[in-house]
Amino acid sequence: MKPLFNIDLKRIPSSNDKYAADREKNFELFLKGGFPNKKDENWKFSDLNLIISKNFKNITNNDNYKFDEKIETINDFDHNKIFLINGSLKSYDLQFEESKKVKIESLESFEGSYDQIKNNLHYLNKALSIGGYKLEVQKDYKCKKPIIIYNYFTENLDNKIINNSNEIKLSQNSELTLIDCNIGKKSKFIKNTFEKICIDEGAVLKNIILQKTKGNGYFYRNISGTQNYNSSYQNFILSSGLEFNKIEIDMNLEKEKSSCYIISGLNLSKEEHQEIKTQINHLAPNCKSYQKIKNVLEGDSTGVYQGKIFVKDIAQKTDAYQLSKALILSDKAEFNAKPELEIYADDVKCSHGSTSGSIDAEAIHYLMTRGIGLREAKKLLIKSFLNEIFEYIPEQKIRSFLEKSIAVQIDEIR
Amino acid sequence: MKSEELKNQDYKYGFTTEIENFKAPKGLSEKTIKFISEIKKEPKWMLDWRLKAFNRLKVLKEPNWQKPKYPKINYQDLYYYSAPKSMKDKPKSLDEVDPKLIETYNKLGIPLNEQKRLSGVAVDAVFDSVSVATTFKGELDKKGIIFCPISEAIQKHPDLVKKYLGSVIPLSDHYFATLNSAVFTDGSFVYIPPNTRCPMELSTYFRINASETGQFERTLIIADKGSYVSYLEGCTAPMRDENQLHAANVELVALDDAEIKYSTVQNWYPGDKDGVGGIYNFVTKRGACRGRNSKISWTQVETGSAITWKYPSCILQGDNSVGEFYSIAITNNQQKADTGTKMIHLGENTKSKIISKGISAGQADNTYRGLVDIGAKAKNSRNYTQCDSLLMGNKCGAHTVPYIRNKNSSSTVEHEATTSKINEDQLFYCNQRGLNQEEAVSLIVNGFCKEVLQQLPMEFAVEAQKLVSISLEGSVG
Repeated sequence: MKPLFNIDLKRIPSSNDKYAADREKNFELFLKGGFPNKKDENWKFSDLNLIISKNFKNITNNDNYKFDEKIETINDFDHNKIFLINGSLKSYDLQFEESKKVKIESLESFEGSYDQIKNNLHYLNKALSIGGYKLEVQKDYKCKKPIIIYNYFTENLDNKIINNSNEIKLSQNSELTLIDCNIGKKSKFIKNTFEKICIDEGAVLKNIILQKTKGNGYFYRNISGTQNYNSSYQNFILSSGLEFNKIEIDMNLEKEKSSCYIISGLNLSKEEHQEIKTQINHLAPNCKSYQKIKNVLEGDSTGVYQGKIFVKDIAQKTDAYQLSKALILSDKAEFNAKPELEIYADDVKCSHGSTSGSIDAEAIHYLMTRGIGLREAKKLLIKSFLNEIFEYIPEQKIRSFLEKSIAVQIDEIR
Repeated sequence: MKSEELKNQDYKYGFTTEIENFKAPKGLSEKTIKFISEIKKEPKWMLDWRLKAFNRLKVLKEPNWQKPKYPKINYQDLYYYSAPKSMKDKPKSLDEVDPKLIETYNKLGIPLNEQKRLSGVAVDAVFDSVSVATTFKGELDKKGIIFCPISEAIQKHPDLVKKYLGSVIPLSDHYFATLNSAVFTDGSFVYIPPNTRCPMELSTYFRINASETGQFERTLIIADKGSYVSYLEGCTAPMRDENQLHAANVELVALDDAEIKYSTVQNWYPGDKDGVGGIYNFVTKRGACRGRNSKISWTQVETGSAITWKYPSCILQGDNSVGEFYSIAITNNQQKADTGTKMIHLGENTKSKIISKGISAGQADNTYRGLVDIGAKAKNSRNYTQCDSLLMGNKCGAHTVPYIRNKNSSSTVEHEATTSKINEDQLFYCNQRGLNQEEAVSLIVNGFCKEVLQQLPMEFAVEAQKLVSISLEGSVG
């Protein structure tokens, strides 16, 4: 069998650094286990090894960061911009913010990785990471406008792999809305991202993950973070449109009164496969976590949700909730869920719910008796199913922008 | 009260019957298997089957994904067969059975003498590796119902056993199931002929008595077309400071329009307060709804055992078949439970319902782990799952690990789970009306479990309710 990889560490921009030996060692460690397969409990429903070996051969690491096109930006609302080309920081524009309050810099390749190895893909990332961006919001500064990260992918990325790592830090009482937006040409490539988030006392981070154009990418993204006293993390995942996407969120609520929201609305078609895996660790009393995962599944698509709430024995008065709902529209589509609770404290309110099924026939009937055609009625119900998640986004302009982009997706449903 | 007395109050079935035993040579080997087969006077096909399982076992690895971890079991240090000497030549009637054995069962509240029994429950009493007695055989025979020890069925009804044994839990299933297939000793065999409603509850009472012995029983229940049977299972063991292994296999087969109701009250010795001793209850229970409109219902009350690790499952093959699982798992002190069910929907219009109540107190760990799998062909299927956990104190744990797979657009899966503690207001209300703390807790917990307790047959329900209260004694305060 031909080897799956054709990796050259010299293609990494900062490769001739002192970490070369480390990189090689990590790559060897990765090769030992390869891509995770379904024997690994965390990958039970998404056999990455199978998916990669079916779709890729001769994988090389990317060395092309040249770019001279103009990226079409979003005009719906004022925002600051960060441009990433193939995972690497290209430029930024913080026109709406006070100077020196928001710091953005290029992350050196190895800095962004931390010591605790999470899985085999982490070895791969450590071996091949080209770095990424490092973002820091200063103490007591509340960003005036959201920042959109334009994650642009160039042409000719077929059979390439991109590894990058980012760091986001919110200092005390700061606030930021960060919108991740993937745009790109239709090449078929792998992206493996590790991200570290640190939210200090009283800070609020809203992170919206959006897939602007349909792509053929195979994405894995690992977000791990810590939250301090009274901090808040809100994550909205609207990343439909990728061949494969797994987002893994690992959040540690380390101090009292912190809260974590993970809200997702996915609309998957054709052979799309998306997984959201979360682990919320309640390590202090009086924290709150709330997860709502909604999937609309068409064609041969697969939706997966693996969520875990862990409550440490001292984390009394925890309020944790998980809900996953799936609408299965085709006989070939599939929804898998594993909403898990691991609880060691007694004075807590923890619950989860999970439902999956098709559209309520009675609701369709009701609409049709009022003169709405079958297709329209279906679309209307799907829209209302997904739109529920926007309740959690108070900014009107962002909300209507997101609603618009979901509406485009729903329009494509036959 | 002396400490000795107190101990006995905790687990009243902890006594040992002094009886001379007849054991197989120690250790797991082909020799042991041949010994068991020979002593049971088994035909050659049965021995071959066992040896096939044993060969398979050599390749299999002991699973280790479960939550409760346990020290490595030395399989060569166990006795795989132990029987009272007096049972060596099978007694022909109850009069010939060693009075000590009868007394043991009387002490356990299971009189084997038919006249003495109040209610119509036929009992198969299994003591270590042999079946001691089966009651009400004559009356059942009249209806064509076969209820006998499985070792007897192998000799008298080989065709039925050959056809169904291992058809639900195959030889090569997993480590403990395969181990059981190789060395199983006794258990019950039930066959209900077509269109027959079994006139009484059938029941097996398992008792582990000998030390250093593993109990490996095998139960096979076949409900032919249009029949109905309700089967009960109870178990106890003496108090010992060693851990004993209990690895049973239970297979149920329901054909067209048949219904099997299987209830378990599991009260093996749970070990002492510090977690010394107790039974490892690693049981494989699986039912196949083969026929159209068939139904299998599992009800379990798990209060005993140091570690309970089992998932009574239903394979819903026949169209319109129904699977049910009602469970109460109570863990106290150092007990650990990892239990739940698997509902595998294959046929159209299949339905399943899971109600699980987990209660943990002391330093115990209680896990619900379950699978609901709706296949692509299981049109219009439905599942409803509810698992509630109750925590008493912050040294114990309650975990829920459901796996949900839905591959069919016309099927609906619903799952909900909650974790809570005993409501202070409810406790206060009970205290105010003169109930002490323990009575109040017992009352509230019984209320919490009611949905499951209701599913139990009358005789069992009363016992189970008491058991629920006793298991939690000393956990509040």
